[in-house]
Amino acid sequence: MNHQGGWELIKNTWQSWLQHRGFFFLLAFGWMLPLLVYLMIWSAAASEGSLAGLSQDALAGYYLVLVLVNQLTYATTNWTVGDNIRMGQISRWLIQPMSPLYHALSSEIAGKVVFMLFSIPVTAFLALIFRPQFNLSWQQSLLFIPSILLAWALRFFWGYWLALLAFWATRADSLLALQDTMIFLLGGHLAPIRLLPNWMQSLAKILPFRYMSAFPVEILTGFLDKNESLTGLLIQLGWTSTAYLLYRLVWTRGVRHYEAVGG
Amino acid sequence: MQALRLIFEFFKVSTQAEMAHRANFFIRFLNAILNLATGVLSLTVIFNQVESIKGWDMPSAMALLGVYLLLAALRGLFIGPSLESVAGMDGEIWQGTFDFTLLRPVDKQFLVSFRHWRVLMLFDLCLALGVLGYAIHLMQAELTLLAVMGFIITLIAGAALLYAALLAFSALVFWNSGFLFTWIINDLFQLARYPVELYPGWLRLVLTWIIPVGLMTTIPAQALSGKLSWQWMILTLLFTIGALIGASWLFRQGLKKYTSASS
Repeated sequence: MNHQGGWELIKNTWQSWLQHRGFFFLLAFGWMLPLLVYLMIWSAAASEGSLAGLSQDALAGYYLVLVLVNQLTYATTNWTVGDNIRMGQISRWLIQPMSPLYHALSSEIAGKVVFMLFSIPVTAFLALIFRPQFNLSWQQSLLFIPSILLAWALRFFWGYWLALLAFWATRADSLLALQDTMIFLLGGHLAPIRLLPNWMQSLAKILPFRYMSAFPVEILTGFLDKNESLTGLLIQLGWTSTAYLLYRLVWTRGVRHYEAVGG
Repeated sequence: MQALRLIFEFFKVSTQAEMAHRANFFIRFLNAILNLATGVLSLTVIFNQVESIKGWDMPSAMALLGVYLLLAALRGLFIGPSLESVAGMDGEIWQGTFDFTLLRPVDKQFLVSFRHWRVLMLFDLCLALGVLGYAIHLMQAELTLLAVMGFIITLIAGAALLYAALLAFSALVFWNSGFLFTWIINDLFQLARYPVELYPGWLRLVLTWIIPVGLMTTIPAQALSGKLSWQWMILTLLFTIGALIGASWLFRQGLKKYTSASS
């Protein structure tokens, strides 16, 4: 396997993406806005005291960390996988002496670099307005690192296997829209999980969507105790492995099925 | 009269084009349902935690959601696709094909505003009306004729304001053709999902007088629940007329600046 070629591709992609920063900043702004809307709604709702033990400052802390975590874990790449399969771009990748996964990974990493250039300063500025507050402990920070890596991997591979269904169905992208909706509802965007009604809370804890976005934030901002964090990590690991296996399965079958159109 | 005949022809041609992609029916249907479900579920989650926020309870917030969905459907029906085809990504200004549009013997603002229709958005429109009906049912208040009249008038004003904002942002493309101004206003329009009173003071002012997405939905919803004073009604109408004139002026200034994209 040619890893050096993969690394060169990654570097190239992010440098070329930086030339189009305006466009990517716009995308980042669009993802940030709904989260800020719900931060303000919940702040207004908590203006007389607190909601389920969450004060305005704690809500601000939760949502501002979520803005960053959401952009770090959002897999933009998956939206173009379907087009690449339909347009036959993937034929070229298949004959290159490295895994086509590198093409997805390169735009993933390029995306993170460009989005963070926008989001970190903007979030820092928003922190001055919303005055977030949370206690940071060593234990929380240590658990945060594996949980955000797993969250990224889970969200990426989950979207990737869905997108790869484009080998069979032309409009598989709409499944990605469904995934985004589920993350909005059950992944802590609409509300921190503990503010959801009971039935939604139980769903959130079982299904993979919370583990793609809210879970690392809950760990870092101290919403969870040690036991809850560790069980959560185990569930997250389970879903990530499932997503990876599904990706392998769909990929090997898909490539066998694939036949380029046109010439 | 000729304008109406042209709109009918545009509508017919767009519909015929859309009929060719029958798989889209299912996708549009799915999107509309997802949109409705997230909207209603969001309100359920919020008002499961609190009775009311700053004077807005579940029924009045539901009425506002209905107005929002209605305006969003109108935007998707023709304003959005028409302006997007000129000023959006890969639009006529980028491609240089705007020359052909300019050559048509019709008023340019009329042409760029009504040319493309997405007939399937009529389904979203029906769902939005359903939400409005449900909200009125929840309110259980006797709707006075005055309230209904006020609602209809302010709703038309809201739609006109949305149109003016979209036209103005699209016109900016003449000054900087590389930037997707229409995306910004589409992102900001999401703030209209909730009453403008729920946002912090500085943002409330911006959303009322500078980028009036707040006025578009909050005012009609207030009119329906009979909470709108006649002073505000007149102010909104005057502001709408001003915004329409201003946006039209900006668009004509932009047209003067237009130079074709080809060399």
